[in-house]
Amino acid sequence: MILQGLWQGLENSALGQYVAASSWAFPTIETVHVIAIVTVVGSIAVMDLRLLGVASKESAVTEMSRDTLPWTWGAFVIAMISGALLFVSKATTYMVNPFFLWKMVLIAIAGVNMGIFHLFTWRTVHNWDRSPEIPRGAKIAGGVSLGFWVIVVFVARAIGFTLDKFAS
Amino acid sequence: MSLGDLIYNLGEWLRTTPANELALAIQKTWLSNLIDSNFWVIPTIQTIHILAIAAVFGSVVMINLRIFQMAGRSRTMSQTVRRYLPWVWWSLLVLLLTGIGMTIGEPVRELTNPVFWIKMVLILIGIAVSLWFQSSVRRNVAMWELTHNGRVAIRVGAGAVIAMWCLIMVCGRWIAYAPT
Repeated sequence: MILQGLWQGLENSALGQYVAASSWAFPTIETVHVIAIVTVVGSIAVMDLRLLGVASKESAVTEMSRDTLPWTWGAFVIAMISGALLFVSKATTYMVNPFFLWKMVLIAIAGVNMGIFHLFTWRTVHNWDRSPEIPRGAKIAGGVSLGFWVIVVFVARAIGFTLDKFAS
Repeated sequence: MSLGDLIYNLGEWLRTTPANELALAIQKTWLSNLIDSNFWVIPTIQTIHILAIAAVFGSVVMINLRIFQMAGRSRTMSQTVRRYLPWVWWSLLVLLLTGIGMTIGEPVRELTNPVFWIKMVLILIGIAVSLWFQSSVRRNVAMWELTHNGRVAIRVGAGAVIAMWCLIMVCGRWIAYAPT
């Protein structure tokens, strides 16, 4: 495991020890994490389905983006903070869990997908904002996003079932 | 009496009701065995369950944002409801089916669990409120369009609905941690 000392240090920190030892902290933070991720996936799916041309076709793409993106980002920040708190309580266990590592990689790829979409495809959005013809780039971005978030939820759920399997 | 004590006592009482025998009977069925003995079945059902919650919650949030005039302002209330409410109903069906699947797989964990039954009551209230909202929009859509002029009751109600779906998710997660 790379940076083993770092993960061990996080786990031994006062915060990590507190979350691990408290009877209410882990479940409570986990609940916040679940509500946040549900909001991320729910709001991102609304936007992705618009990009795919499946739903909300009567609304402008820019309007859908304005209506959903602040909630997606707000919830994502809450998911990251709550996720970090859960992580420090069992850092070494998570770092050897392949599903956790996959989850991080998949979220990073979903982020890159979003970045590429905003840097390139989004530039021409005013040409197809209300058009029934959605450019292929936008459809691919929407489909990739939807697919990756579905898999993220699966690997995230798998972590909880496999923690003991990989821990030494 | 603290909330923890209340939940504990509710669990103790549940074990004296027919829910206990029902759970044990379900546990003996081949389907329960099949679900419980295949490692990936429960995580897979849970994943579908969570994705369906995301669809319900995302849709409920979008409808409520429209009520608050914070999203979808180019659409009328009727159009907004037609866009999102079918996703709520179809996802609730998926939630029911996956929920039944999890209950058959782990009947004792669910049916003798106080948090499970609290969640069921909250879901029934959630469904009743959604049905009432749907018929109200059909009967008197103007009432729902006027919210930006300050219909306090509607705003409070919309906020309460979001809070209730959050509470349902809280119960969903705490089924795993309930004192049993």
